[in-house]
Order: sequence, then C-alpha cells, then structure tokens
Amino acid sequence: MISSDIIRGHLDSIILKLIIEKDRYGYEISNEISTRTNNRFQIKEATLYAVFHRLENKELIESYIGDVTHGRKRKYYKITSLGKAYYNEKIKEWQIIKEIINLFLEGSENE
Amino acid sequence: MSRIKSYVDKLFKDIPNSEQKENIKQEIIQNLEDKVLNLMENGKEEEDAINKAIIDFGDIEEIKEELIGKHVNKKSKAGLVLGFSIWGSILIIALVVFMNFYYTPNVIWFIYPTFVVLWWPLSMFFVWLSRKNNKVIK
Repeated sequence: MISSDIIRGHLDSIILKLIIEKDRYGYEISNEISTRTNNRFQIKEATLYAVFHRLENKELIESYIGDVTHGRKRKYYKITSLGKAYYNEKIKEWQIIKEIINLFLEGSENE
Repeated sequence: MSRIKSYVDKLFKDIPNSEQKENIKQEIIQNLEDKVLNLMENGKEEEDAINKAIIDFGDIEEIKEELIGKHVNKKSKAGLVLGFSIWGSILIIALVVFMNFYYTPNVIWFIYPTFVVLWWPLSMFFVWLSRKNNKVIK
C-alpha cells in the first residue's frame, strides 16, 4: 500500500472529484477509493473525516442527512459551486505539476 | 458492534465537547459499522472485521487538529506566557527600585538588575512574534 506524501497532498482533490460525480457518504467514498485503485491506496478513516471537516469549513462541500438505510440516517456530502471551481483550478495545477515532474523523472533512463 | 462505539469514545476522550464533535463521532461510528458489515458480507468473522476496521482507522491527531486548530492554541499559549513575563518583570523591577531608594538612596544601582530582568519579556516577545507570523503564513 502506497502512503505517499504526493497523494496526501491531493486528497482534497480526489475526494472533491468523487463528490462531484454524485452525492456520497463517508464509507462509500473510502470504499470507492480502495476499489478504483485496486487496494493500492486506502484512505484512513481519521484522514477522511479530517478532510471532510476541512472541506466543509472552506464551503467546498455541504452535508445533508440522506435517506434512511438499514434503519439509520446517513450523512451525505454534496459539492458546492465554489467546490467545483476549486476542483477545476486543481486540475490545471496538476497538469503543470505533472509536466514539471516528468521533465526530471521520466524518459531519462538511458542517459 | 459496541466495541466500535467504545473505541471511538476513547479516541475522542481528550477533545473538548461540542456539537461538532458529537456529529463527527456519530458519523465515524456509523461508517465504521458500515465497513464492518461490508467486511462480514465478504466472509470475515465479526471479530476480525472489527479488528480490521480499528487498525485501519489511522491517527486521531489529524481530526483533533481540524477540530481544535492546533496553531491558534499554540499562539494563545505564547500570549499567556508573554503576559506573565511582562507582569513578573514589572514586579521584580519595582522591588529592586524600592530596595535601591529605601536602603541606598545615594547610589543608583537598580539599572543593572533591571537590564538583566528585561531579557525575560524580550525573549518571550520574540517567541510570541514568531508564532503570530507563522499563523499568518498558514
């Protein structure tokens, strides 16, 4: 399992992306991350809830109490327009970062 | 499942009570239970599933920092220490001045201990200043 600082630095964006796709609840998000990465990356619950709290404080996401499933109410998260704008900025930033890192870490094995 | 609840209760023990804390706690308990149920559906024993959920939980410090705001706390502590040092040095200097003029009014010597004592609030002032600037950068 990879626990890279680079991934940690972009957890906000990863979680925003998942919430942009549709409204989701906590466990669904951690499960989705494990599934999509084939268990190569798993988010710790402590990290996940710290991120939720931070994103909600910055008004990038909102929460609401969703339908009752298995006899319990679930807290769902939903993206705000500010959150979408923030995510789009992050995409642009990532493109640039990727190019910069690639300049040094890719395709220079033969030299 | 009560093990999950008591585990989360223990984790949140040192965080001051607030509505936010209760909400996060409830949410975490519920989602850990979801995780346990899911693991059990995939063939794990309940005890194993609960153990795995607890091991995977990670470091509660991250949530603490978000909830309490560690940096703000540190700064206000530095402010308290600064205030203490200012009042403490004023009292010491007042005592020295009093002794000087009461016992030896013809020799002015209180300047020397005053300079020594002033290092105390001065150093605390710089600690406070650096904390304050750190916070602005953050």
